[in-house]
Amino acid sequence: MTVAKTSFDTDGRMDSIDKIHAGFEELGYITSAQIATSIYLARHLAKPLLVEGPPGVGKTELAVATAKFLDLPLVRMQCYEGLDESKALYEWKYGKQLLYTQILRETLGEVLQGAKGLGESMDRLHQFSDVFFSEQFVEERPLLKALRAESGSVLLIDELDKADQEFEAFLLELLSDYQITIPEIGTVKAKVPPVVFLTSNNTRELSDALKRRCLHLYIPFPGTELENKIIAARVPDVSETLRKELVAFVQELRSQDLKKLPAVSETIDWARTLVLLHATTLSQDMVRDTLNVILKFQDDIETVEAELTTLTNEALKSASLPAGAS
Amino acid sequence: MDQTLGNFIKALRNSEVRVSSMEAVDAHHVVDLVGYRDRDMLKNSLALVLPKTPEEKAIYDYTFDRFFEFRKLDEQGADQLDDTFSAENIVPSLSDELGEGAMGEGGGGGGQGCAVQGGGEGEGIPDITDAVETADKNTELQLSSLSRMLLSGDRNALALAMAEAGDAVGVRNIRIFTQKGLFSRRIMEHMGLKALNNDVNSLKKKANPDTKELAERLRKGRNYLMQQVRDYVEQQFMLHADVDGSQLREEVLSQVRLTNIERRDFRQVQIMVHKMAKRLIALHSRRRKIYNRGQLDIRKTMAKNHAYDGVPFDVRWKAVKVDRPKVIAICDVSGSVATVANFMLMFLYSLNEVMPNVRSFAFSARLGEVTDLFAEGNVEDAMTKTLHEWGQGSTDYGQSLNDFADIALNDIDSRTTVIMLGDARSNYGDPGSEIMKKIYDRAKWVMWLNPEEKNTWNYADSVMRKFTPYCHQVQVCNSLFHLERIVSSVLRSAS
Ligand SMILES: Nc1ncnc2c1ncn2[C@@H]1O[C@H](COP(=O)(O)OP(=O)(O)OP(=O)(O)O)[C@@H](O)[C@H]1O
Ligand SMILES: [Mg+2]
Repeated sequence: MTVAKTSFDTDGRMDSIDKIHAGFEELGYITSAQIATSIYLARHLAKPLLVEGPPGVGKTELAVATAKFLDLPLVRMQCYEGLDESKALYEWKYGKQLLYTQILRETLGEVLQGAKGLGESMDRLHQFSDVFFSEQFVEERPLLKALRAESGSVLLIDELDKADQEFEAFLLELLSDYQITIPEIGTVKAKVPPVVFLTSNNTRELSDALKRRCLHLYIPFPGTELENKIIAARVPDVSETLRKELVAFVQELRSQDLKKLPAVSETIDWARTLVLLHATTLSQDMVRDTLNVILKFQDDIETVEAELTTLTNEALKSASLPAGAS
Repeated sequence: MDQTLGNFIKALRNSEVRVSSMEAVDAHHVVDLVGYRDRDMLKNSLALVLPKTPEEKAIYDYTFDRFFEFRKLDEQGADQLDDTFSAENIVPSLSDELGEGAMGEGGGGGGQGCAVQGGGEGEGIPDITDAVETADKNTELQLSSLSRMLLSGDRNALALAMAEAGDAVGVRNIRIFTQKGLFSRRIMEHMGLKALNNDVNSLKKKANPDTKELAERLRKGRNYLMQQVRDYVEQQFMLHADVDGSQLREEVLSQVRLTNIERRDFRQVQIMVHKMAKRLIALHSRRRKIYNRGQLDIRKTMAKNHAYDGVPFDVRWKAVKVDRPKVIAICDVSGSVATVANFMLMFLYSLNEVMPNVRSFAFSARLGEVTDLFAEGNVEDAMTKTLHEWGQGSTDYGQSLNDFADIALNDIDSRTTVIMLGDARSNYGDPGSEIMKKIYDRAKWVMWLNPEEKNTWNYADSVMRKFTPYCHQVQVCNSLFHLERIVSSVLRSAS
């Protein structure tokens, strides 16, 4: 089988899952085996990677870390309702065009001088206006930028589920051959296909066609062990005891019936907050005072407050168990 | 094309993971890239190209583990092996080696002949070299051929015998998962289970310690064989259950009594229930859309199009008011009825989208409302709690209906559908039919679902006949098929 290999991986840092795992860890991103494998395959099969999962589990960050890992520019496109080609791909610089027509008014007169009749004037004008729809007047948007990046790029299409279905269809075309035709200029084809990440929070189902084309990674909330590693990497100041306890507490919370479960980002924020408060171990009062860092809804806070004693004790208990016994 | 991978994809499709041909090609690329050697790596890699929803990933995990039985190798052995698929490396289960198609081709370039799973730790064939001779020497017993085969430790011979037995009992015709037990037993029987059991029993009776040990070895061998046969049947099931799942579904739906479904298959049934619910929701929504486009709203259209000189550009339709059904489910959760109740409640609450107003009550000796438990979403938890709280004691319909009347009789109105689920076995106590009448008088529709077949109604302590006059509809209900039809009719009656 032949796969279109992207040329940036010359130093072999994508050779094995282990190298990926270690490299990302150095950058502060902790990969599960599944995540590391997805990066490996995305590169070796040269396929876009669609990443789904609850908010705050590191979908966006994965793309960011990959760009750093590969020393490639990150081109990020945030999706939203109504996003269209002109915002995603390219636009004409209308301002510049207008300005130039003003500046060139004189020249315009010259161009038209001596033209015989309306027909010839129109012809000349036409040629002239071509100038306005040329390279200099193209405003690059993320997709075009990613395609044109000299030595490749990491293209992050973030929260695709927020864009409309039509946009998805358009994207699908682009992803099938990494080229795009701009009528006035011609076809732009990526010299080096970008490494593409698409993320979704699942506010709507993405189309089957798109899913078929992509590798599909689902990132769930991390388990105790993984989350401990993440916190250790992101908040190195937190003591081991406190870290284990707070992670245990968050893990506990995720099995509760809450409106919004705390994500990794909340665990990180919480850890930072507790460090600032000079906490060394989790206490009920401390938890109560900082609950709003991990829980975003008042309802949830109230629910948890009612169970605070049990939850804290459970967390302290399971944090004191030796690793692996959960 | 790699036979093993092809079979695995087939197995996934059978488990209703959608795999397009493009994804199958991707899977082949993946295998080319990562090989079969590292099982975790293979699993994580294929997980990225084959299943594409969290649900599919769960099914994928399960199917992968079943399909690729991994045999732990000693390190040296592994080094000598070819990197490509090898029966020594990963035994993709017996089916590949023994199943029709693959037989004789050596399945995907892998194992020559028949490799049987080594069984991993401790459960393999007891290592008996000259046990047969011992047996011959020490006893006048004529051991059956199956016993001899087990004692000889000849895995290839066993595997062949198993495949032959499989052929003979037509394991190829397995279509639904509940048949697994049946086929396993038939294969065992065909291989000579009875004689084997006889051997074990008579050896045990002998005073000689050698023979006793032999009996023990045979017993272990029998366990080993059972495990092998079960795996084999599992594989056959994955290979032969029909691909698009429709026949499978149909048969499951029409054949399996919910009370017969084994615990470990619950999850599968749950998935089916959810699917049925989804389909019903889709059907129901479509129906509603059609109704919605009922009538032209002349007045609104005129007003709206006034600006266009009355040319109707913007056509307005009258919205149809949709009646959301109000459903009250009263479930007997004693004994065998509980299983059916479990699935029915699961079903009703999966329809939340189109049927948000379900209240549920559970009873055996006494009755209580369990709506909140189920509305929370985790049906399994809810059921466990319900059983714990209300499933104890001897069934008392009279008392329970009284309890119901106290709590909810007044809430029943002409829009309410009441579903009563129970076997109407009240241990010869007062059945409380006068309350049933009150319910009947108030409700829009009362249906009684009885998990027993009709011919046992009214037999012994069953008092169906006392309730029947106060029901608009009485129905046998003990399979998913019944459930689907009934729930569908509830939905329809309400729209
Ligand atoms: N495995 C991880 N290793 C290190 N940091 C992580 C990991 N997972 C998540 N984080 C951290 O959690 C925070 C949230 O991550 P990120 O913003 O990427 O989440 P997301 O899944 O994109 O969320 P959303 O769906 O809300 O966009 C970031 O600060 C990120 O650094
Ligand atoms: Mg994000």
